[in-house]
Amino acid sequence: MLRAGCQLLTQSALPAGKTGGNSFALEFVRWRRKPRWLPVAKSKMFRVPERKKQTEEERTELMRLHNQYKTQLRSVRQFLREENVRIDETSTVDHIVLTPEQEEAEFQKCIEANAAWNAAIARERDQRLAKEREEKVAYVQERLEARQVREEERREQANQRVLLEIERSKTYITRENLDAAIETALANPVDHNYAIDLAGNLYQGRSTTQLPDASPEPNQQVASN
Amino acid sequence: MSLSPASGIGRFYAKSAKIIRFVRLGCTNRPFYHIVVMERRKNQHQPVIEQVGSFDPLPNDYNERLVALNTERIRYWLGKGAHLSTPAAELLGIAGLLPIHPRTYMSAWRNRRAAAEAEATAEKAESTA
Repeated sequence: MLRAGCQLLTQSALPAGKTGGNSFALEFVRWRRKPRWLPVAKSKMFRVPERKKQTEEERTELMRLHNQYKTQLRSVRQFLREENVRIDETSTVDHIVLTPEQEEAEFQKCIEANAAWNAAIARERDQRLAKEREEKVAYVQERLEARQVREEERREQANQRVLLEIERSKTYITRENLDAAIETALANPVDHNYAIDLAGNLYQGRSTTQLPDASPEPNQQVASN
Repeated sequence: MSLSPASGIGRFYAKSAKIIRFVRLGCTNRPFYHIVVMERRKNQHQPVIEQVGSFDPLPNDYNERLVALNTERIRYWLGKGAHLSTPAAELLGIAGLLPIHPRTYMSAWRNRRAAAEAEATAEKAESTA
């Protein structure tokens, strides 16, 4: 029963990691071993693990070797510490070290590169500006021509209007023929009043006392307007 | 996407104890080790400060056991006072970077003694037969 519950726990906890870490009660399927809560096996209960025998000779030899090793390692460490300090002091990884002449040469090289670059860009710019200027000139020329054409047209139209007016001026009422015009007007009175019935018939004249005998002309219907 | 633990993303305190040691990778019956610098108190499978080498303890087709070491960084970390685990110290001793570790001598003489004893028993067996 406990086993089954434990396996359930195991399955849910498997992705957590392979050592278990914080959760001491978990059992992992892959690294299966005896659960922590089981007692020592009966066959192993009174087993005393045999102590590895180490002879006096071996022990002293190891002691000597260890002492030697520790001394050597200490001096190696000392050397490496000093090496680190030396590297820190002499390293030019994070900064650049140059003599004044080198710096001057570098500066000159930079200036030359800059000048060459500037020259190239100036060349390109001159070409571009010349092209733009040409385009502008062409555009202005075109516009000027268009304006000239427009002006011609306008002048022509004005001319025509003047000619028309001159033509019409022959029928103008002037001081000389004013009397004749007045007489003509008086002799031919015009009545602009009219009336319309529901059928759209037009009845000229102010008074409706004299109805026309026949129906009006079809072309006088308002509806046709 | 998270980086792998070997890519040097381990966080550490400036004055904590660092150690150069192995991280056992590979799988059951097939060990493979990364040689890493990490905080001494941490579990081996935690993210490391820096990986400084790798070690394949099983001999390959040419009977070689391959080791790769970034000696520059190992020297740097030793100079910074990093500790050494015993297997790492043995390996670095054999590699020639550090003095030979006493455990190397010990296992060597024990192997020699075992070989001599095995030979003696074999000879005795032959003479009796």
